Amino acid sequence: MSDASYVRLIDARKTYLRGPRRVTALESITCSVFPGDRIAVLGPSGSGKSTLLHLLGGVDSPSEGVAQWPTFGPRDGLRPRFVSYVFQTKSLVDSLTAEENVALPLVLMGMTQSEAQAIAEAALASFGLEEVAQKLPEELSGGQAQRVAVARAVAARPRLILADEPTGQLDHPTAGRLFDALFAALDGTDTALVVATHDAAIATRMARRWAMHYGMMEVLS
Amino acid sequence: MTRRWLFGVIKGRPGRLLGAALGVAVTTALLCSLGIFLSKSTATMTSRAAADVPIDWQVQLSAAANEGGALAALQGTAAVAGAELVEYHDVASFTARTSGTSQVTGRGKVVGLGPRYLSQFPGVLRQLAGTSGGVELSQQTAANLRAAVGDRVTIRRFDGTIVDLVVDGVVAEKKADSFFQAIGVAPGAAPAAPPDNVVYLPDRLWRSLFPSPSANTSFGMTGQRDASRQFHVSIDATLLPRDPASAYSYLSSLANNLEARSSGTLTVADNLAQRFGAVRADALYAKVLFLFLGLPGAALSLLITLSIMLTGSQHISREQSLLRVRGATARQVFRFELAEAAFVGLVGIVVGLGLTAIASHTFIGSSDLLSGTHLIWMLVSSLAVATLIVCAIAALLGARLRRSAKDSSQAVARSNDVPLWQRLFWDILLVAAGLLTYWLTAQKGYEVVLAPEGTPSVSVHYEAFVAPLLFWLGGALLGLRLFEALIGDRRAMRRLLRPVSSGLAPVVAASLGRQRRLLARGVVMVGLAVAFAVSTSVFNTTYNAQARVDAQLTNGADITVTGNIDSPAGGFIPRLLGIRGVAAVEPMMHRFVYVGSDLQDLYGIDPKRIRAATAMSDAYFAGGDAVAALSMLSSKPSGVLVSEETKNDYQLSVGDTINLRLQFAGDHRYYPVPFVFMGVVREFPTAPKDSFIVANSSYIAARTGIVSQEIALIRADEPIPQVKSTVDRLFAGLPGMTVSDIQSTQAAIDSSLTSVDLRGLTRLELAFAILAVIGSAGLIIALGLRERRRSFALLEAVGASRRQLRAFVWSEVLLVIVSGIIIGAALGMVVAATLVNILHGVFDPPPPHLYAPLGYLVALLAAVAASCFVGAASISVLARQSLVEEIRKL
Repeated sequence: MSDASYVRLIDARKTYLRGPRRVTALESITCSVFPGDRIAVLGPSGSGKSTLLHLLGGVDSPSEGVAQWPTFGPRDGLRPRFVSYVFQTKSLVDSLTAEENVALPLVLMGMTQSEAQAIAEAALASFGLEEVAQKLPEELSGGQAQRVAVARAVAARPRLILADEPTGQLDHPTAGRLFDALFAALDGTDTALVVATHDAAIATRMARRWAMHYGMMEVLS
Repeated sequence: MTRRWLFGVIKGRPGRLLGAALGVAVTTALLCSLGIFLSKSTATMTSRAAADVPIDWQVQLSAAANEGGALAALQGTAAVAGAELVEYHDVASFTARTSGTSQVTGRGKVVGLGPRYLSQFPGVLRQLAGTSGGVELSQQTAANLRAAVGDRVTIRRFDGTIVDLVVDGVVAEKKADSFFQAIGVAPGAAPAAPPDNVVYLPDRLWRSLFPSPSANTSFGMTGQRDASRQFHVSIDATLLPRDPASAYSYLSSLANNLEARSSGTLTVADNLAQRFGAVRADALYAKVLFLFLGLPGAALSLLITLSIMLTGSQHISREQSLLRVRGATARQVFRFELAEAAFVGLVGIVVGLGLTAIASHTFIGSSDLLSGTHLIWMLVSSLAVATLIVCAIAALLGARLRRSAKDSSQAVARSNDVPLWQRLFWDILLVAAGLLTYWLTAQKGYEVVLAPEGTPSVSVHYEAFVAPLLFWLGGALLGLRLFEALIGDRRAMRRLLRPVSSGLAPVVAASLGRQRRLLARGVVMVGLAVAFAVSTSVFNTTYNAQARVDAQLTNGADITVTGNIDSPAGGFIPRLLGIRGVAAVEPMMHRFVYVGSDLQDLYGIDPKRIRAATAMSDAYFAGGDAVAALSMLSSKPSGVLVSEETKNDYQLSVGDTINLRLQFAGDHRYYPVPFVFMGVVREFPTAPKDSFIVANSSYIAARTGIVSQEIALIRADEPIPQVKSTVDRLFAGLPGMTVSDIQSTQAAIDSSLTSVDLRGLTRLELAFAILAVIGSAGLIIALGLRERRRSFALLEAVGASRRQLRAFVWSEVLLVIVSGIIIGAALGMVVAATLVNILHGVFDPPPPHLYAPLGYLVALLAAVAASCFVGAASISVLARQSLVEEIRKL
């Protein structure tokens, strides 16, 4: 494996305790994400897509095996500087406006409020969301909220964006527009994008595809 | 289905249900305990009143009355336990020849007592010297005659005949005013002073001196108007109603009935009913205190319980919406929620009754929970709590059901979403109404409890308590307005939060600013809990401080040695000063002086030194300056301070000469001595409640030739009981000397009927206040933060470090707690000050200012801090552990 990878899993296995039962979410996965990658993770519900993203993003750690971030350093400092998340729905902080939500990871990184605000404004503008900058999440439509979430993920200029079913609640046209904006924002950068999705249309736009089935991964292309 | 739902809720939301059940338990325990305290203290007042009266009834026989018939009438009266005949006869004088001099008194009284009298009425006479049952002189008479046990005393009757008797003993009357009261005088007539000279004889000897016709004929001595007969009656207190007001009415009707049955030959002086008449006001004060110190606590507890129940309201709304979407009717959903409320109520009440048993035993000293009255209180309180809880929750949940099924994220409010009460300025209006009501109450002189003498009816002016109630409501809302104004000011918030959240201050301020409704709930809970704790503890501390002042006034000093003119305590000062723990000793004279025909107590002091041994409060003197008053007295040797009543009776102005008749050393007769009126004294250590006089002891000694200082006032600088036991040993066996200390006096005052026994109520409420503060601060913060698990999970998912997450958590915690403490402390002090003024009838004497219980308040702050820390820390841990689970839900 190349040392230039952003993240690599080596024989990573993840099990959970559900009551008296031990459930295996991932079976011995080995994979890497490189700069600029566009990866779609496909699979039915319960196949381990989210767990895979959690291990890649350092939210969770493998029960067996290894998760490494050769370029980013230790697991504790991954977010928000190197890794960003986009969730399926309602991933905005209710008590912050759209602009404040986008600025949040920047402030957490140590930027001043005014610096973060300026970057957030630009990020919202790149997604056509200038007019909703001062609105609260409850005042946004589903599509607008999801675009704000994506803008937040992009604004911090991370190296790796992990998106877990980001268009799961959106209709096809809206989903398409969202990804158009996302790809445009990432164009020319070496940011890697890993998307867990059911949407075949989204999957075909990604350069690589991993299929998950009962916790096992198959590289499709 | 409802049962299945209930089991699911118990399994899925145990923390919330447990918290709510605990709230119900505490509310139930508090209400039940308060009720038990009320019934116990009322009953205790009645029994203590009865014990405090040495002679329950004094039944005067008219000249035509037959003793046998009167006794039969008494024995036929319900509740009469026993009766003893007492006979009085005036005589011209007493004479004694001792130490080569002859002392002659003026008019005196000879009293005949039966052999069973002292055992039947043990509280009437205290043996000072000699043996009881023979010829006994009163203490004052023995002093006047300079006579002691074994001396001969001559009684001169009005017909000129004389009788010589040998003195067997000397006694002191404990309640001379009552023993010698004029019975059957017109209402409003001035009370007569007890006679100065009294000799007690066994009834057989008495009858030999004052023979009467046969027992079956009327007693009378033609031309002699100075003889009387009374039956002294003891009442069986166990047969009286427990409530003083009811006991008063019952006894009054018994006495009236006796007088009616005797066709006017018997006149009853109902000392016991009179005592109950004074006490019934205290009983009412106990009820009033129950209302206004206890009920706010119960209301607070209910509020906390409801707040806990409604925690997670978004989740509840979502559940209700899901149920409706899946076909449940509104009625079914309502039934589910009602079942949950009923479960919480039932568990809470059962636990609450257990807590009641513990609290009653620990704080009130009552273990008999199954007695009739206590059982009633417990049942009523439990039902009240259960009904309130279920109705309140039903109303709230019902209102929620009627709203749109879509979750409207009520926690986040736009800045222009101002609630109705703020727009209408209800807080300002309520506070203004409270001030107006308070002013109106002050105009009436704070007469909250009215128990007119001689009438059975009593009343409480409950409207006086509208003011504190309005201050509670208006003050809480005003505090809320100020809090919301603060939280809406971003710049101020950033500055306030910077020490806790440093670079995150702007985003934390923005986030908190939009959660003001949620935070306001916490601030109100903490504020009300702190206000309750502060108001209760300040009121109770002020009360206890005044009880100590009362004890100081009654006892005179930390330790007081009381002798008499023959054995003055002042002679032991050098030995007293040698006792370890005695910091200062000052002597004081106690004489009797005639002001006109009025006999008053005279206290002779050294005004320059008296303060070394006893505290002199400014409140003791008109003008409110003790130092100035004593200085003025010391500047004029013949100066004197008198009561307001004496000043008015004799139209005195400062500088006027007033002649007082004092007993002189030579012949022990009373001669006038000129004094100069210097000012008015209201209270004085050891002095009685009615009129008394304070003068320079050196002047009194110089003019009368009697230098004895009867009383020694001692200030202790070591534990008082220890020092007192040493002083006791010094005076053991010395006749006529008594040693008393302030702690025993305070305990007696606390248990007397002149004050309400607040100790049990105090302990109960202060303990509850701590619980309420812990509950409101820790539990609500923990539950409130738990509601925002999702937000915290998001923050961590977005990249907040542990330190940054703690900044969010602690910013919120500190904002709520500090705001709540400030609002609560201010509101608590206002309510305490209002209650102290309104309830000034409870205080004797009224306090000059409020007293703050610093130790308790520090403990309160520590409890708040500890509960917040535990609450916030547990949430931080929980947030980290459940991050993956929370992210899964996103």
